[in-house]
Amino acid sequence: MDTQLLIPGIIFGLSMASVYFLMSIGLSLCFGLMRIISLDQLLYYSIGAYLTYTVSVYTGSVWLGALAGVAAGGITALAVERLIFRRIYERELTFSMITSFGILIGGIGVIKAIWGVVPRPVRMPTPELISIVGTEVPVYRLMVVAIAALVYIGIWLFLNKTITGKAIRAGIEDVEHVEGLGINVSRLFTITFVIAGALSGLAGGLHAPLIMVDPNMGLEVLAFVFMVVIIGGLGSIKGTLVSSLIVGQVVSIGSLIYAPLALMAPFAIMLLILLVKPTGLYGSTLVKK
Amino acid sequence: MPDSGHSLVVGGLNVAYGESKVLFDVDFTVDPHQIVACVGRNGVGKTTLLRSIAGFLKPLSGTVTVDGVNLLGQRPYDVARMGVKYVPQDKKVFSDLTVRENLELGSYATKDYNWDRVLEYFPKLKELMHRKAGFLSGGERQMLMIGRATLGSPKVMLIDEPTEGLAPSIVTHLKYVFSELSKHAALVIVEQNLPLVCSISNKVYAMRDGRIVAEIPGGASLKPADCEPYL
Repeated sequence: MDTQLLIPGIIFGLSMASVYFLMSIGLSLCFGLMRIISLDQLLYYSIGAYLTYTVSVYTGSVWLGALAGVAAGGITALAVERLIFRRIYERELTFSMITSFGILIGGIGVIKAIWGVVPRPVRMPTPELISIVGTEVPVYRLMVVAIAALVYIGIWLFLNKTITGKAIRAGIEDVEHVEGLGINVSRLFTITFVIAGALSGLAGGLHAPLIMVDPNMGLEVLAFVFMVVIIGGLGSIKGTLVSSLIVGQVVSIGSLIYAPLALMAPFAIMLLILLVKPTGLYGSTLVKK
Repeated sequence: MPDSGHSLVVGGLNVAYGESKVLFDVDFTVDPHQIVACVGRNGVGKTTLLRSIAGFLKPLSGTVTVDGVNLLGQRPYDVARMGVKYVPQDKKVFSDLTVRENLELGSYATKDYNWDRVLEYFPKLKELMHRKAGFLSGGERQMLMIGRATLGSPKVMLIDEPTEGLAPSIVTHLKYVFSELSKHAALVIVEQNLPLVCSISNKVYAMRDGRIVAEIPGGASLKPADCEPYL
């Protein structure tokens, strides 16, 4: 394949992987610790993108907008966790899935009421291109990749070096034992949910300049995010990283080889992986603790 | 407020899993520094009893008090913070965390960062500090779980089948540890190892079909044969 196509294809795949990773990490952590499927993370992604649009329009700064998106994602997640999820943690897994889907659909309605149904463009924070092996690629896409890498390092440090992070890791293994030690797991759940919401908001903020921001943008990436979480294994951060890289590249390179592959190939890869490893690459068994 | 000098008082405890009732009007008391054993066949409700006291199950009715303070309705982490620690039967440590990190979590929960007593009971943990807990043997896991539970100086420790599947030398060591622990806390131990039960218990409660059917005084006169009819 021509390197003039391949290099931008790989960079495009990496930037998509970065967005998928930032969104999936929340879903994965929420499942791992609370045993819930939090589809409402896709709403925080949309909120992040819309806040980026609005703030960038008023201030001229996309980065400030993305920061506002992170804050809005985190705050909305906090409200949803306190008002809704806290009441359903002990219910069946499907209950959280249906509830969170309801929150997502309701939230999309609110977005339509505030911003309308017309897609909104967000300008690139930096229009520069950089030459890699003689091929021009947008600097912004590389910045998205770098930010996602920093987030991965930050999450890793948080989970491995802080006592709250260690408690979350312990809770992913067995939340009842954590509670039995005297650790307030409700607080851990809230922290995890807010982190997840903020990262989804960040994903939306970073993705906004690369797409048109529209009310259904969360639903449009739903299938890909689900694939990332399932391929990586629910509850695994490392798995989420690896699978987002796989899905990002399969979408990107697949579309270069034969356009319809971009949508079909990730599903084929997921099915193949699930045939060999039903729990995903790094996942544990899907049980409600 | 102290409740007749008992550390733990369970009164008229009824517990059900859905429609299926498991415990029926369970009453028992544990005095400070006592080791109380609970014996009975599998499925008679011993683990359910400990889990109900620890707050993991919501009883239908009854009372559970520690030093006169009602525990019913409290979340498990509040029960633990009120001085009642539960060591489950499954020997499931946090396998992805090191021994040190497992102890750190115990300290974080209780704000007790002094591990001297833990390492005095289980000196072997010193050399295992940096090992992932998932690589520990069954005995080492039990040491870690009991050691971790002693942090925060609990008033009552509920220990479920601590010697199940362990080598005799470790059982002997645990016997010593339980005697030491009883200097600081009251212990309720669910156990099938009758020689151990007889050698450490101040009192034995025998359970059958979700009820306490016998209270057997402990001490030197207690023989395994006294408990055998209930197994």
